Amino acid sequence: MTQDELFAKIQGQFPQVQKAQIQVKDYLTVRLSSKDDLLPLSSWLKENSFDYLDMLTGTDYLGPTDMKGYISQPNFNPFLPEGATPQIEPSAAAGFPYRPVLDLLWSFVSLKEKQRVIVKLELQRDSPSVPSLTGLFKAADWQERETYDLLGVRYEGHPNLTKILTPEFTSGHPLRKDYAHVKDRFDE
Amino acid sequence: MSDAAALPSLKSDQLFINLGPQHPSTHGVLRLGLTLEGELIVKAVPDIGYLHRGTEKLAEVRGYHHCVVLTDRWDYVSAMPNNLVFCLAAEKLMGVKAPARADALRVMTCELNRCASHLLFFGTYGIDVGAFTPFLYAFREREMILDLFEMLCGARLTYNYIRLGGVGMDVSADWLTRAKEFLEYFKPRLDEYDTLLTYNPIFMARTRGVGLVSAAEAVNWGLSGPNLRGSGVNYDVRKHDPYSGYESYDFEVPLGQEGSCWDRYVCRVREMRQSIRIIEQALARLPEGPILAPGVAKVPKPAAGEVYAHVEGSRGDLGIYLVSDGGISPYRMHVRAPSFVNLAMLEEKLAGMKVADVIAVLGSIDIVLGEVDR
Repeated sequence: MTQDELFAKIQGQFPQVQKAQIQVKDYLTVRLSSKDDLLPLSSWLKENSFDYLDMLTGTDYLGPTDMKGYISQPNFNPFLPEGATPQIEPSAAAGFPYRPVLDLLWSFVSLKEKQRVIVKLELQRDSPSVPSLTGLFKAADWQERETYDLLGVRYEGHPNLTKILTPEFTSGHPLRKDYAHVKDRFDE
Repeated sequence: MSDAAALPSLKSDQLFINLGPQHPSTHGVLRLGLTLEGELIVKAVPDIGYLHRGTEKLAEVRGYHHCVVLTDRWDYVSAMPNNLVFCLAAEKLMGVKAPARADALRVMTCELNRCASHLLFFGTYGIDVGAFTPFLYAFREREMILDLFEMLCGARLTYNYIRLGGVGMDVSADWLTRAKEFLEYFKPRLDEYDTLLTYNPIFMARTRGVGLVSAAEAVNWGLSGPNLRGSGVNYDVRKHDPYSGYESYDFEVPLGQEGSCWDRYVCRVREMRQSIRIIEQALARLPEGPILAPGVAKVPKPAAGEVYAHVEGSRGDLGIYLVSDGGISPYRMHVRAPSFVNLAMLEEKLAGMKVADVIAVLGSIDIVLGEVDR
């Protein structure tokens, strides 16, 4: 089954699902228009041999991460004298559509057909929530907790949506682009 | 007789114990909160994150070449596939393809690393279930592989050997001879392992039929690598979505039957034999030519786009999702870490088991906490 055939099959069932403008290279990428389509589409995929939820994650498109706080010496050239103006500083790349959204991603694999379909959904950054896939795929359990912990997406219906990687005493979601570290007892 | 019946019944309480984070059998800093009723586990709660270093965030403020160094720190007992998967993803973004010699070297080092990683598993799993001797045998061989890596790139665990567009250093004629010598030495050792541990009646009694995972369950949990294949599901990224020329190598994918601890163990031991086959083919065909593709900038700025690349790491399907905004650092990097996904089933699997089986099941999943926490 080629990517086009697969997409035609998906669109036969869900005409509102569109091909994503930016495709993940080599894999079919589709975009949902609303979060209500997520559960029907996933269960349809599960019944049609895409029964392996490979990965789920998200991206914050607010703008590039501020280097301050992550790199003590922003000069990539170690031979520059101290205090010299940094040679290269990552700045907003020209023409890239930064916008205040979280772009969520689910990646389904068909072990039988050796195919992968990537489903994407854009959400507003403030209080994003989306239905949980834990009822269909147990693989979603920890990965949704991870995305909740690091990006702050609420998965409605998850049985135990708690922090998983970061410690209890920290606040905020580190993979959000405007995350700022609050000093705690482990800082000097 | 009637006196015993008149005695008040024994009072039994639930007992909470902590296994880890500093416990040798948890293979790193994993904490398990176990609620016991006698010897039976009522509830098991894995607690992870002790080794979380935020490499996904760190990658957002570093150049692409620097990120390869970060990847070494995930699965530190098999770092070559980590290097490889990041380089494959970044190369897809940049539209670069590694030359043929680099591809063969990548395959060779990754398979050697798979052997080293599975040897570590073989040794420590023996200890987990009470056999100390195999550990010494396994480390004797693993040491030789690490020596080979040290000779190749100067490091024994964190290699930074596979670079964007190829590999860092070329192999010498001396290295090739030593690698061939090692393979000749290693092949008969695998038969030794079978007599020593695989078909050892005590070991089999301890691991067969324990921690059963059915094929449907394994797929639903998203397991990968030997954990999935131990349940009889034939999914190997090297066959399903070949990379670095794996489609041109002749090898088999060992499968388990019932998905018990023993099946997962056997898959790994059998995989080492297939790895040797692949390394031998790579050694035989090693083409002449450059080891680095031209056109990889010192400070790469790939055009905006999204890619996903995945490889069959030692622990399973290791994937990287990379977003570029056209800047000098990845805009977003997400790691699909096989250990993290595989470990998730522990909570459900452990409930209802005996305490003695906890270590047998945990060991058979073969996690590395550096990769679970990233």
